[in-house]
Amino acid sequence: MAQKIKVFVDSDVIISSQISNLGAAYFLLNETDLQLYISNLSLVELIDVGKKLKIETRRLVSLVKKRFNQVNLKENSRELKRQFNDYTKDPEDIHVVAGATLAGVDFLLTYNMKDYKIDKIKRDFNLICLRPAQLLQYLRSL
Amino acid sequence: MDLSAKVYTPEQVASMLQLSKNTIYDLISRGEIIAKRIGKVYRIPAKSLSFVFEGLDYDLYLAEQEDLKNLPKIKKSLSKTRSKLWLKKSRSS
Repeated sequence: MAQKIKVFVDSDVIISSQISNLGAAYFLLNETDLQLYISNLSLVELIDVGKKLKIETRRLVSLVKKRFNQVNLKENSRELKRQFNDYTKDPEDIHVVAGATLAGVDFLLTYNMKDYKIDKIKRDFNLICLRPAQLLQYLRSL
Repeated sequence: MDLSAKVYTPEQVASMLQLSKNTIYDLISRGEIIAKRIGKVYRIPAKSLSFVFEGLDYDLYLAEQEDLKNLPKIKKSLSKTRSKLWLKKSRSS
């Protein structure tokens, strides 16, 4: 069996998939050839954002359990900043890059490309940042 | 760009895709490029060439547009959440 492509999914993509079932994020999360990852910190923020946007916590937790592998970021905030500060334009996005590198994925999926230093991330971690539709397009080319 | 607005000739498309005119006619006959036959000539709508303009097939382009409609409210909420959580973490570490 071919090895599945490993993908870390930013919270904006997961929330998008729960708002519309016609969007690229929804299609991507239902793509069975992918092994999806989030971090423990992503899960905390997902639940908080879900509450703000009236998405049931139970639904989000169930999706994560069913579809995602979870990596645990143990470093404190200062340590994460020290290691990953150079990879994002916004310090609040650091945990996403940290989670993706810990998971050892091939792709980081996000709708927030402008806040990640994608060339540096690619160079240092061999990790490609894409939007969901771009990854779906890539899958069609395989 | 408005993908529904424009049509192209097979010659123009050949030039855009750096393919021969015959290849374009071949792709049209196989259904890989959707074109409209008007009398003896073909016209190709821009949405058939979505990949050229957007880097995405048309269905994926539409799926992305669907997500982008909801993105402002998601970004706003996520940004508030990240500020709150990171502020808390920074204080505790």
